Amino acid sequence: MQNTIRETRIRTILFKVLVYTFLVGFAIFVLIPFYWMVLTSLKSFQQVRTEVPPSLIIGLKDIRFLENYASAWNAAPYYQYMLRTVAVAAISTTGTIFTTIFAAFAFARLNFKGRDFLFLALISTMMIPGEMFVITNYITVSNLGWYSPLGQTQTEAFLALTMPFMTSVFYLFFLRQAFKQIPDELYLAAKVDGTSDWKYLWKIMVPIASPTIITIVILNAMGTWSAYIWPKLVATEYPLVTNGLREAYQDFFGMVNYSQQMAAALIVTLPLLIVFMFLKKYIMRGVSRSGIKG
Amino acid sequence: MDITLKEITKIFQAKDKSETVAVNDFNITIPSGKLIGLLGPSGCGKSTTLYMIAGLLTPNHGRIYFGDEDVTDMAPEDRGIGLVFQNYALYPHMTVRQNIMFPLENIKVPKEEALKRAQDMADLVGIGELMNRKPKQLSGGQQQRVAIARALVKKPRVLLLDEPLSNLDARLRLATREEIKRIQRETGITTIFVTHDQEEAMSISDEIILMDLGIKQQVGEPQDVYDEPKNLFVAKFLGTPPINLMPGEIKNKQVLIRGSKVTGKAAKNQEVVVGIRPEGFEIDPNGIMELEVYMVETIGRDTTLIIKNFNDSAKSYRIIVDARHRIKPGDKVKFNIESDKIFVFNRETGERL
Amino acid sequence: MLERQNNLKALFYLAPAMVLLSVFTFYPLFNAFFLAFLRDYEFLLRSAKGFTLFGNFKNVITDPDFGIAMKNTSIITFISVPISVIIALLISVALNSVKKLQGAFQTIFFLPYVTNAIAIGMAFAFIFHADYGLLNTILGWFGINPINWVGLNASWSNAMFALLVYTIWGGLAFKIMVFLSGLQSIDKQYYDAARVDATPRRRVLTKITIPLLSPMIFYITVTSFIGAFKAYRTIIGMFGETLRPPGTLSKDSLITIVGLVYDALAHADATGKMSEAAAASIILFSITMIFTLVQMQISKRRVHF
Repeated sequence: MQNTIRETRIRTILFKVLVYTFLVGFAIFVLIPFYWMVLTSLKSFQQVRTEVPPSLIIGLKDIRFLENYASAWNAAPYYQYMLRTVAVAAISTTGTIFTTIFAAFAFARLNFKGRDFLFLALISTMMIPGEMFVITNYITVSNLGWYSPLGQTQTEAFLALTMPFMTSVFYLFFLRQAFKQIPDELYLAAKVDGTSDWKYLWKIMVPIASPTIITIVILNAMGTWSAYIWPKLVATEYPLVTNGLREAYQDFFGMVNYSQQMAAALIVTLPLLIVFMFLKKYIMRGVSRSGIKG
Repeated sequence: MDITLKEITKIFQAKDKSETVAVNDFNITIPSGKLIGLLGPSGCGKSTTLYMIAGLLTPNHGRIYFGDEDVTDMAPEDRGIGLVFQNYALYPHMTVRQNIMFPLENIKVPKEEALKRAQDMADLVGIGELMNRKPKQLSGGQQQRVAIARALVKKPRVLLLDEPLSNLDARLRLATREEIKRIQRETGITTIFVTHDQEEAMSISDEIILMDLGIKQQVGEPQDVYDEPKNLFVAKFLGTPPINLMPGEIKNKQVLIRGSKVTGKAAKNQEVVVGIRPEGFEIDPNGIMELEVYMVETIGRDTTLIIKNFNDSAKSYRIIVDARHRIKPGDKVKFNIESDKIFVFNRETGERL
Repeated sequence: MLERQNNLKALFYLAPAMVLLSVFTFYPLFNAFFLAFLRDYEFLLRSAKGFTLFGNFKNVITDPDFGIAMKNTSIITFISVPISVIIALLISVALNSVKKLQGAFQTIFFLPYVTNAIAIGMAFAFIFHADYGLLNTILGWFGINPINWVGLNASWSNAMFALLVYTIWGGLAFKIMVFLSGLQSIDKQYYDAARVDATPRRRVLTKITIPLLSPMIFYITVTSFIGAFKAYRTIIGMFGETLRPPGTLSKDSLITIVGLVYDALAHADATGKMSEAAAASIILFSITMIFTLVQMQISKRRVHF
């Protein structure tokens, strides 16, 4: 008896060691690119270029933080790119929030002709790859005069960058689910008290669904930050951060300054990581929920 | 203010167009200032009736009057009702105070007055110190009181409660039921509450309305309905333990169970169902009915004797006798039956003879 | 009162979203089909010479790039997805079984989800750098000579390997997150029951956890297939707009189906190119549709294990 207890205990400890080793191993795998980015961005141009194989750590005195980050920052007008990206994200996120709140309310709360059919039609578009829309949207944006290869104004660029993204079927679906979870009795209670639909939406539904709305805001804004293809198509002269990043260091021949390149990559990645660290709860919940929808 | 329902019928249509009659030709007048229990098994149409009085559902046929006023087509908010939901429907993101004040904001009561009325109402229901809490921080009983305060704060003409006690545990249920009675007495507001629990309805109602299958079965003061059930359903639904039903017959104006006479009845010869309340048996060595005791349940105050059902061995009859009788399983006991505890029903229609 | 329909009010609430969706979602959907059947469409003039049934599709399919794109896309999809699903499953099961540091690990494993595909692609390219890269450094410890993964004239298979590693890395976060929330929603009673019956850990995994999670595993696998089929940004991140290691020929390109669409769109001014982009997008749509239909069919038949 005593022996079996000890045996189980040893086994349990062995198993734990195994599990943690496995987890630590993959955690390292996940962190490596970040580490490599940070490490390289701190090395001097000479160190990167002359050390073969490269060292995996860096001494304090070898750190070239200011140099690399300043030159990366100056290699392209990141300040402009970032401001522009933030503006585009703010506009399209605000638009998305309002349009999806309205529509999700209609689908979750109101009774109208063809509601179920319309909703089905909407969610079926989620199965369609975005590339199919991009082609025509490119034409539409050109036809509307918001984009021309010959040049465009800043306002036109903003219109082209934001208008197609002022609503989203996915977020509409996501928010409708959140609205649907609010018990019907709350609506009935509000009705008995003489609350209008408009007031019920803003005073009761939106506050209750606010975690979901915050999730949508974050995911949408982060999406804009990482947008690459659409801005490249319709705002060639007004790039967003991600376009700026790739284009500033596209050259693979010759003397690429890797430290500077990695510093720039970090500059672009860092805001995302900071947002993530502060709003982890909302992002992770949003993502794990979106997986269960099926 | 009386509430009158005239020929109310509500039909629900499912997606496949099949129809369910939830409430069928319902007629009733609810007297002013009373506490009324709307009672019936689940699915009997009692909640539908309540929602129609509230205006959240519209009847397919019939009219609803508050006093002389026809409110059938009136929106719920214009009817002047307070409604308490089964799960309370408190707004989770608002404090107790904000919850109670919410209806007043809708009718644009000045802030100062709204605050005072909310506080008064909270004091009345006994949650005056909890005004800054969120619903999640309250117990079930406290949430219940907030819901009642919210319903009453705008001084409604009628207070409607949907299964007000079903989400509370047994102990709280007793306390809350007295509380509801007290609040109703103090405010004097006409109150209708829906429940499937007959004990709950009988204990606090001034009058009960019994419903089954969308049809009104009987209305009256609890004791009257209990003592004079109109039909088999009412007799079965009221009383714990439930009434004992035995097959019997009427022969020459005598009611016979298994051949022996239990009471007299002036009706033509026929097969009947005889119902005897558990407390209607009296131990008497010269009694008219001899039964073999199968099991004995003792709770101290009185003793329940369990007798095997004549027809169905899976069921049993229950007899309540005074605790001083020491009876053991297997004893054969003779009983007399009190004539006001015995009811005779038509075997086909269930109507009382 | 409540069951009453209110079409006018609904219209008011729906209008903003519906107008935008009509212009930027519904119309493009139909227009893609329209464009794909136009003969010799000139984008600059917005004019075409009538219609053609298969002309544009034929142009897309007979282009040598199409075969290369199909090959690359299939390899990316059918290799990276199964591997990342299995790894994600193991990680989430391991993660679910530990208490200490669970939150920290969860955060780390989620990081790839919130990063920028282009920026991380650049980092990966540098990890795979022949001289200055981390991978060759580590391989060097084991006496392996530097391998030209993504550099000048790198071979297709080396470049593809590097891309696959990056793709798997990028796909883990979402799957781990979803699996973990699935695992956490499994009723603890099953595990208590298994423990009382002295079920070995391996059996708990194969007989309880995986069967209970199987609908989710299946769902995630199929949606990941669809996602991986649309691979494009990862390749730009690693290889830039040319979609291949520098110095290599187009037959060694890592172009994908989505790459074909954007390639055609980039040359939209040329005759018929816009229609080819539309045709390629419809081909992409059809393939992802097949995945979706298979998924619907199967999950209909066996909703649960």
